[in-house]
Amino acid sequence: MKAAIIYSSVTGNTSTLAEIICENMSKYTIETDLIPVDEFHPEQLHNYDIVTVGTYSWDNGELPLEMEEVFEAFEDEEVKHITTGIFGTGDSFYPYYCGAVDIFRDMLYVHTNLAVTLKVELTPQEEDLHRCKKFCDRLASEFAVVS
Amino acid sequence: MTQVDQSLSKIKLLNPTYPNKATGIINGESSGLLNWNDIAYPQMYDLYQTLLANFWKAQEINMQDDIKQWDSLSETEKDIFLRINTQLASLDSLQTPTMTHVMDYVTDSSFKAIFAVISQQEAVHNESYSYILSSIVPLREQNERFDQAKEDPMVRKRNQLILDSYEAFRENPTPQRLFELAINSINLEGIYFYAGFAFFYHLARKQKMLKTSTMISYIQRDEMQHAYFVSQFVRILLTENPELNTKENIQYVYQTVDKAVQLEKEWADYILKDIEGIDIGEFHSYVEYLANKRFRQIGLDNFYPERDNPMEWIHVFSDEMMNETKSDFFEQKSRTYTKVSSSNGFDEL
Repeated sequence: MKAAIIYSSVTGNTSTLAEIICENMSKYTIETDLIPVDEFHPEQLHNYDIVTVGTYSWDNGELPLEMEEVFEAFEDEEVKHITTGIFGTGDSFYPYYCGAVDIFRDMLYVHTNLAVTLKVELTPQEEDLHRCKKFCDRLASEFAVVS
Repeated sequence: MTQVDQSLSKIKLLNPTYPNKATGIINGESSGLLNWNDIAYPQMYDLYQTLLANFWKAQEINMQDDIKQWDSLSETEKDIFLRINTQLASLDSLQTPTMTHVMDYVTDSSFKAIFAVISQQEAVHNESYSYILSSIVPLREQNERFDQAKEDPMVRKRNQLILDSYEAFRENPTPQRLFELAINSINLEGIYFYAGFAFFYHLARKQKMLKTSTMISYIQRDEMQHAYFVSQFVRILLTENPELNTKENIQYVYQTVDKAVQLEKEWADYILKDIEGIDIGEFHSYVEYLANKRFRQIGLDNFYPERDNPMEWIHVFSDEMMNETKSDFFEQKSRTYTKVSSSNGFDEL
């Protein structure tokens, strides 16, 4: 089983979150690639069983420009069988806290097997570490053997 | 090696033998010419663009609705409204000249440019308070209110923390004092505004004085970027000058921000006590939550207990709330997906 984490970060908050999630994934012995958005190609999606996307939100809770390509890749490629999770960091002082997570959520629900979403305020805190673990638990549980 | 207590010298306007790309934000070599395509911290260009994209001016906001509503406010609300207005104006009045003053000692031209933009925005904030006042009370009362702000012992005590540090830098501009100034600037922009913001957003929740709160929302959006920039400035200052990155200075940050937190709580106890619907205890936790955010922005750990935002209604208005037509350079794509939630079979954490 292979997983990818595709993410974009400006202040470092989302990349910190991506790394925490990556570390958690490795505990399930799921081979995980950490892909910054500028190294992403749409056809890469086909290499993975699990794809998680990490994004910050911009201004009025919008997608950052550089995440548009990732968004469109899920719309254009054949990804129905892929299990996905969307996570992001945001600041509740702006309207539509983590709005880009919601935008991805609605699209991923239609095109993929969306399992889980996660929002974190700025830098991940102690409490968020548990939530990151849950996030990965949920993704991995999609592949648990039903006996 | 940086001598943290040695005065920084005022930089010459042009130093043709030095490179355009500065070798340091203080005590660096820099020609003084700015080419945004060749700067030491390229992310500063994004920040500069974000600041410019926030551009607004007070006169664009039509105050008619607020003028009509003013008389429907209770006497207490009117009094608090005017006191908070002049108190915020006095904070912004400090910030405009301080930001331009710092420019003289910062060697990186891209940082100078950003300080210039921040200073300009503080000037607009200052004007917006005057603009609000001119809409609702005659000049005589405006002047009385400014005198009241100048004499109010609580306001003076709050301002003193900031003033001491800003004046110390004016007197002897050392790297140490620049660092302290930056921390106090975070206090001013990132902590001291929030009891005031709470009051205006609270009125907005009751659909009162919405034009004023629209301006407050623009101001908050600017101040958030300023606090973010200053926190980046602090991180870079400490990284480039490890002599400043000492236990004592980290302690200084915790102590000084904590002082500001206590003063903001005291101010809230005093100014918001008669405002129904704002829970002062909750506001105390809010200020601690806010300060934790500031610590994390400069790369430090939380000082207060970790908690979720206890007053989520204190936030910048959405574009829709401000009826703002998007003036973006690119059109926002319309997306046609239906809103889904955890009832659709996935988990929302």
